[in-house]
Amino acid sequence: MINKTFTKDMRETWMYGILGFLVFLLVWQAACVFTNFGKIFPTPKVSLAAFLQAFVEPIGRHTLLGHISISLRRVLIGYTLSSITGIIIGLLMGYSKLAHAIIYPIFCIIRPIPGIAWIPLAILWIGIGEPTIHFIIFMGGFSQMVMNTMDGAQHVDTELVGVAKVLGAKENQIFRKIVLPSSIPYIFTGLQTSLSTSWMAVLAAEMITAREGAGWLIIAGMQTGRIENNVIGMIAIGLVGLILATLLRNAERRLCRWTVRSR
Amino acid sequence: MDSTKQVKKEKPIITMERISKTFQVEDGEVKVIDQIDLDIRENEFLVLFGAGQCGKTTLLKMLAGLETISGGSIKIDEKELKGFNPKVGMVYQTTALFPWLTVMGNVEFGPKARGIGKTERQKKAQYYIDLVGLTGFEKHFPSMLSGGMQQRVGIARAYCNDPEIILMDEPFGHLDAQTRYMMEEEVEKIWQEEKRTIIFVTNNIEEALYLADRIVILTECPARVLTEYKIDIPRPRSLVSEEFLSLREEISSLVDLREGGNDAE
Amino acid sequence: MKEKTKYIIISIVSLISFILLWDLVSKSGIISAKKLPAPSKLFETFIYKLGNKNPDGNTLPIHIWTSLKEALIGFFFGIVIGVPLGISMAWFKKFDKFFSPLFDLIKPIPPVGWVPIMITFFGIGIMSKVSVIFIASFIPAVINSYSGIKQTREVHKWVSQTFGASNRQVLFTIAIPSAGPMIFTGARVALNGSWVSLVAAELIASTKGLGYMIQTARLVGRIDVVFVGVLVIGVFGAAMMEGLSFLERKLVKGGRRS
Repeated sequence: MINKTFTKDMRETWMYGILGFLVFLLVWQAACVFTNFGKIFPTPKVSLAAFLQAFVEPIGRHTLLGHISISLRRVLIGYTLSSITGIIIGLLMGYSKLAHAIIYPIFCIIRPIPGIAWIPLAILWIGIGEPTIHFIIFMGGFSQMVMNTMDGAQHVDTELVGVAKVLGAKENQIFRKIVLPSSIPYIFTGLQTSLSTSWMAVLAAEMITAREGAGWLIIAGMQTGRIENNVIGMIAIGLVGLILATLLRNAERRLCRWTVRSR
Repeated sequence: MDSTKQVKKEKPIITMERISKTFQVEDGEVKVIDQIDLDIRENEFLVLFGAGQCGKTTLLKMLAGLETISGGSIKIDEKELKGFNPKVGMVYQTTALFPWLTVMGNVEFGPKARGIGKTERQKKAQYYIDLVGLTGFEKHFPSMLSGGMQQRVGIARAYCNDPEIILMDEPFGHLDAQTRYMMEEEVEKIWQEEKRTIIFVTNNIEEALYLADRIVILTECPARVLTEYKIDIPRPRSLVSEEFLSLREEISSLVDLREGGNDAE
Repeated sequence: MKEKTKYIIISIVSLISFILLWDLVSKSGIISAKKLPAPSKLFETFIYKLGNKNPDGNTLPIHIWTSLKEALIGFFFGIVIGVPLGISMAWFKKFDKFFSPLFDLIKPIPPVGWVPIMITFFGIGIMSKVSVIFIASFIPAVINSYSGIKQTREVHKWVSQTFGASNRQVLFTIAIPSAGPMIFTGARVALNGSWVSLVAAELIASTKGLGYMIQTARLVGRIDVVFVGVLVIGVFGAAMMEGLSFLERKLVKGGRRS
């Protein structure tokens, strides 16, 4: 009985899902055929063909995969750096009241500035090039990393700290064995939001200062009037974003088996 | 440890002299403990019994070094208590297990913090895991265990750190009645196998009578020693023996009288 | 209490020494003023920009107004459309099955990615920006109100159903209020995303607004104006978030968000 309703539910899910997708494609197609929309925008078929072709035929300097891997490399560098510094500073501020008192007011000045807003400054400071893009990505994820980690380190269950003290843990052991592990779920939340803003920052940076990469691909599509490149770029960006988020979620599941949190 | 046990039997391991505790609150002070004098002998099973929510946990926390003492002094083995005492272990009402550590990780935490080598501490932890009946669950995380099992881990964790004194703060307060009886038997069994001084806080009369060598009855807010009973009923005790029931009656009426029939917890 | 005062004093000292150090580094020429203008210079520039159109053709208040207007319009529509959609997706199964796959498709595309397409459609006027910001706030609005409703405690639902509440009553009196904190979290994410995407959109193509101001100032090498612009972006971003938190405190009673 349960099994039967389950499969019925699954069938419905697929049916409605496919239906929704088809309606979307139909509207797209109809808009291209019957309205002015078609003059600037490619039909689904043309877009798909262009997407597949982009894997073998270079656009600008690279094929689609080439652009994607360039963007990914940039994100990875900036994101790794911002995560490491963000976690260190966040833990420091969350754990030590003195560090919090010293760093937090200064941190508050840069915290609300979006990573993307650093683009003009970064260009003036560092010039156009890879380090500038890394810097922008760094700034994009940094404050979120700090805030989440700090939140985690501040929300350590005081009772658990007491337990550890009674069991004879020293100050540095309490940090490593209590504060750090209880911050990990918060750190992962930070890593997740920071990854999506990093991915966004790389696009913006590439749109403004680069000659290659996924962001360049879509802006060049606009500038050269080849909107299909734009569409290709967006599909690719969406897919990569999805893959990154999934990978990170799996890593979290692996590392935080003890949390009951499930999503 | 065993060789000295008989000799020390009558010498108090803990001496409390005129212990008081006041908390600062927004509009002044609240006194939660008022001038408690108490001697606890080695290997004694002492139950602190009181109906209210006041003072008992604080008293345990003071013994563990987790709470400052406002007035009076506590001596353990004739030494003034200052800060944490490695001779004290604690079992908590909320189990307070480390959720990110497995059963084994929790139990071996104390020895590990003190820098004891891996094989030795794991052997020891295994001994206590077996003792509390959790063999086979070493690799489980606390969130996968039932309430009773979690509290067993808490007990094993406290014992594994080799304390001379174990403080238990209403450890079975959150458990259902059936599990509670089982855990009480379990604690008694462990105490007989591994003699330690136990100070056990509860607000359940049956639990107190079943476990205690001596019951110290505390008043409600501020906590004072109202009276104490020495319980000589041979173990294991039956919950329905005449002796048990009459004592139960006596203590209940005493507490009821104090509370004036108020709905106290 | 005493300890608290101590830390507040440390904070103030830290902030002042940070600004003094910045001033010193800039004025002594350790880092050239062309790269790092002194705080005093930034203040002058800020005052100057309040009434002067150089170098980008508009005064600072006009840029601020343009940016705020665009961000808030897009945000408003994103919330007004996104929240009901999220709620319906969570409450009506067929709705969910129909929209979810589509939604999952556009969800991972960062709002900035939409900028070129929107410019192609609408030109570089206000519409292109508003539509990008709409997407930026629409997505988190849907996600959060969806999960907020889904998390409505089954117990609450049963309780109200045993009291004979209709499906609609349960939705409006139980599910939506209890999803309130989650919806507000969504609004907060949405507002943040709106502001970020707005700046990005203005940097890429526009004729007015804070993003445009800093981009133009960069091209003419006025680093002081860039600095002022970046700080103003930060201040207004923070101010809008504060405003939203204020609204939340007023509207959501009982359950605080975790």
